Amino acid sequence: MQPETLAWIILALPLLSAAGITLFTRRNAGLSAAVSVTAVAAAFVASVLLVLSYRGLHIPAGECLIASVNWLNVGGLSVELGLRLDSLSNVMLLGVTGVGLMIHIYSCGYMAGDPSYARFFASLSLFMFSMLGIVLASNFVMMFVFWELVGVSSYLLIGFWFERPAAADAAKKAFLTNRIGDFGFLLGIIAVWASLGTVDFLDLQRALAADPQALGAFASLAGVLVFMGAMGKSAQFPLHVWLPDAMEGPTPVSALIHAATMVAAGVYMLARSFFLFELAPAWPESLGFLSGISALDVIAWTGGITSLMAALMAVQQSDIKRILAYSTLSQLGYMVMAVGCARPEAGMYHLVTHAFFKALLFLGAGSVIHALHHEQDIWKMGGLRSRLPVTYWTFLVGTLALCGVPPFSGFYSKDGILAAAETRPVLFGLALVVAALTTFYMFRLVLVALRGEPRDAAASHAHESPSVMLWPLRFLAIASVFAGFWGIDTALKRGLGMAGASGHEDHGGFLAGVFEPFGHAPLAAFLGLFATGIGFAVAWTLYGSHPVRDPLPERLGPLARWMRDKFYFDEAYAWLIRCTHDALAAVADWVDRWIVAGMFVRGLAGATDVAGRALRLVLTGNLQTYAFLAAAGMVVALWIVVL
Amino acid sequence: MNLWLLGPEVVLVLLGLSLLMMDGVVPTARRRLLGHASAAVVAVLCLYALSGHAGLPEPGYAFGRMFVLDGLAVFFKALFLCAGVFVLLLAADMGDRLGSGVTEYFVLTLFALAGMLLAASANNFAVMYVALELITVAFYVLTSYQRSRVASLEAGVKYLILGALSSAFMVYGIALCFGASGTMQFDELAAKSAELAENRLFQVGMLLVLGGLAFKVAVFPFQIWAPDVYEGSPAPTTAFLAIGSKAAGVVLLVRLLGGVIPELGLKWEMLLMVVAAVSILFGSLSAIPQRSLKRLMGYSSIANGGFVVLGLAAMSKAGSAAVLFYLAGYLFTVLTAFLVVAVVVERLGTDDFSALAGLHQRSPLLAGALAISMVSLAGVPPLVGFFGKFLVLKALVEQGTALPSYFVLGGIAIIGVVISFWYYFGVVRAIYWNQGPEETSPVVVPPVIRMALVGGVLGILFLGLFPGSVWDAAVAAVALLKF
Repeated sequence: MQPETLAWIILALPLLSAAGITLFTRRNAGLSAAVSVTAVAAAFVASVLLVLSYRGLHIPAGECLIASVNWLNVGGLSVELGLRLDSLSNVMLLGVTGVGLMIHIYSCGYMAGDPSYARFFASLSLFMFSMLGIVLASNFVMMFVFWELVGVSSYLLIGFWFERPAAADAAKKAFLTNRIGDFGFLLGIIAVWASLGTVDFLDLQRALAADPQALGAFASLAGVLVFMGAMGKSAQFPLHVWLPDAMEGPTPVSALIHAATMVAAGVYMLARSFFLFELAPAWPESLGFLSGISALDVIAWTGGITSLMAALMAVQQSDIKRILAYSTLSQLGYMVMAVGCARPEAGMYHLVTHAFFKALLFLGAGSVIHALHHEQDIWKMGGLRSRLPVTYWTFLVGTLALCGVPPFSGFYSKDGILAAAETRPVLFGLALVVAALTTFYMFRLVLVALRGEPRDAAASHAHESPSVMLWPLRFLAIASVFAGFWGIDTALKRGLGMAGASGHEDHGGFLAGVFEPFGHAPLAAFLGLFATGIGFAVAWTLYGSHPVRDPLPERLGPLARWMRDKFYFDEAYAWLIRCTHDALAAVADWVDRWIVAGMFVRGLAGATDVAGRALRLVLTGNLQTYAFLAAAGMVVALWIVVL
Repeated sequence: MNLWLLGPEVVLVLLGLSLLMMDGVVPTARRRLLGHASAAVVAVLCLYALSGHAGLPEPGYAFGRMFVLDGLAVFFKALFLCAGVFVLLLAADMGDRLGSGVTEYFVLTLFALAGMLLAASANNFAVMYVALELITVAFYVLTSYQRSRVASLEAGVKYLILGALSSAFMVYGIALCFGASGTMQFDELAAKSAELAENRLFQVGMLLVLGGLAFKVAVFPFQIWAPDVYEGSPAPTTAFLAIGSKAAGVVLLVRLLGGVIPELGLKWEMLLMVVAAVSILFGSLSAIPQRSLKRLMGYSSIANGGFVVLGLAAMSKAGSAAVLFYLAGYLFTVLTAFLVVAVVVERLGTDDFSALAGLHQRSPLLAGALAISMVSLAGVPPLVGFFGKFLVLKALVEQGTALPSYFVLGGIAIIGVVISFWYYFGVVRAIYWNQGPEETSPVVVPPVIRMALVGGVLGILFLGLFPGSVWDAAVAAVALLKF
């Protein structure tokens, strides 16, 4: 089969599943789940076939296959509905469908008994369709369409338990916060289109390669605007506030959307349109004070600040899913920082490994929550190692991978990011602090929630989850361990045309691969390990003795409270929104009351109404009057025209 | 003698006569089938007319050039026949309530339809007058068909007297024109139009003729009959009046003002503008306090007649083509609306707004179709009503560079549109948001009417989304005008 056909099939399968479930099998829960799982499994198989049949993952940069049909042609804007196949999208295809498949299977167990089982799988399929659309999109407009679709399906899934006000609010918050970012994204697309006349990634790349000045003064502005889209979707500071709340959705959703795939879309988009950020800084005159700062600087610092801030917040959370949510924020900050340091392949590499181990962690957390009857407070857990052995061990694997312990996959991808940041000392230091904090909060979680003695009755009666939930954990654990050796990084380097891609062929055998980071970036590797060690040591000192309450607030004082309350971002935003809102409302009220309602509506409405009633008087229903009026009209017309 | 040019007219008349004979043979219970059968024949004729449009390179003449078959005639014939199909279906459905024999209703409709087709092809004052009288006389009966209803009788009498008045104006005008020019033949008048336009006597005659046509189109100052007659007549008659009779007036206006004496039209630009503006404002404003759907449609018909004259007042090919498109869109919109009105009146016994409350629960199809036709009449894209208004206003604004009063006229038209939102959306509100009565039993819609409704709604949507084909046909139809 042609690779183009396969790509269309991969994209169409989840959509068909979503439509089929919604239209036909909605009443049959089991069948709906089967349809959805089959669709994503088929998409995964098709992706594997696609990668095997179409030159594997090692496709050189600039070479890609585009399958497109003309979609619309309006006023100089011609948009193709195109699918782009290169190593970047192929890696993502495998990642998204693979992790998606695991999570679909897991959901069959986790969501069992939910009254809206079928609706859940329909939304999940819709999400898969949207996400694959982003991955395969060959131009900005198409990507934006699927970008919004992802937003919609995320809204549906976060608010899945819409009868709970917290879930409904979280869905709204996620959607609105994303809209802010998307607005910038759209402006960025328009800016690019206005200057270059095309939205196709390949054409744009060629145009900018031919003439780096083509965007003129808009170069950096367009970059930052496009980055705003990533800021919303990947929950970067200052638009990060929606992600922790999004944990109100079912846990598989948190795993799929808010850890592995959707939030990664921002990073993927940055990598896809990286050519846009490589341009020399140039700002319009009105933004002259920014001269010298490139779009990449903005990206790198946003990512760095996000990762540090989120890691600090994670330290003082007590909800198991929220800890993981802040950890996701922090890791996304890492990825964005890597892109900002001009190493998109490092960010993408971390994206893929992170998808595996963060999905694993979330699913493990889900298994814990499931076993404890929806208890999420880690201070009511404990002693789960013997009761939930599979969950415990797989969770530990995920933790080690996240902390960057060799030879787990997280070590290699995180090392790539640290190496990328080496050229910027401040960011490098910041990244090391984050690495230490990551280990600290993750082992805090493991030590408090999983080890020690049960603190609660529910924890002491916990049972391991059904095997339909455990197998995905095992598979993801295997991926988390070994994803560092699958050559994803070289594929990405090759695909993004990064330096050093051709020289490294990784043929030095397995052991050479394991120790490779210590060879080419020793500083980053050793300091990274050192930071991890510190984090673990502190966590062990504080929580190794299994305290009943968190000892940290007493030692840190107000700082701990600040961390727990997320540095009061939500409150500050609420205040800011309330103030602007109140001011706007007051103005709008005045305008509405006195100008619109008073002058236009009442005045005009009154006048129209009176005119209407007056005219009705003419129509008496009396035939003689009618005849007289008609004849009189005729006479008047004759008089005007003839005389 | 090119009798085949009159094919559709001949078939219609023969069909009517044979229906009269079959009336004696067919049992009463099955007479409704006659309506369906004649609707089918008319539908075939409509397709024939539509296909004939392509195969007509040159205008064809018959009866010593008194009868012409050109692009304009073919466009309107297709329009009339299409309307005829809907009206016959509707009449067949309402057969039981018409009171008198239902077959005669079909026959009269067919004769009126034949008159309309003749009017589209009239190339001579005498043919024009005869065709218009054929229409009008048939309508005298059609309006007062429900003899047991006082309202229907009243409508018939009003239509009769005012129709006779307008016919008197027209025939007097024709006499004056003949006296001034010595001919009744349109192409001979067109040949010496420049000289005739200066002739005072001819001007008076022509103005009287236009007045007679204004009665058909229901525009100022001959608009006043419309609400009463629309309200009182049976619903199929009202629908036929609203589109068929109006379009018959329009085709003659277009032919006279565009093809025969454009000089006079240019001279009377201001008069046409005033007529259009007053009609739009009168129709829109008077419709506001109305609570009866049929009466509302009467006022709406006046405002729409104003829009048609607006397109004519542009005195350009674009304006005339816009008028043709406007009518094509109006056809589907108004027929859909009347299909709903007819069913509502029949099943609920009244066409007052209060009866519409809760309609969206009792029959989503009726509610949706009525809402779509109202929104289209209001001129909301992407429905056809928007394109009709847009094209007319566009033609008007294009002329504005020559004469600034066109801008004023355009402004008035837009005010009219804005006012019309008020009452059109009043209907939509009544359907969907008004508190319904306790009665919530579903309203049964017969399958034939259901098909017609779907056809009408599809027409509204199709012409709104893909106006290209009909617009091209309209442009081709006015290609021979003398602007």
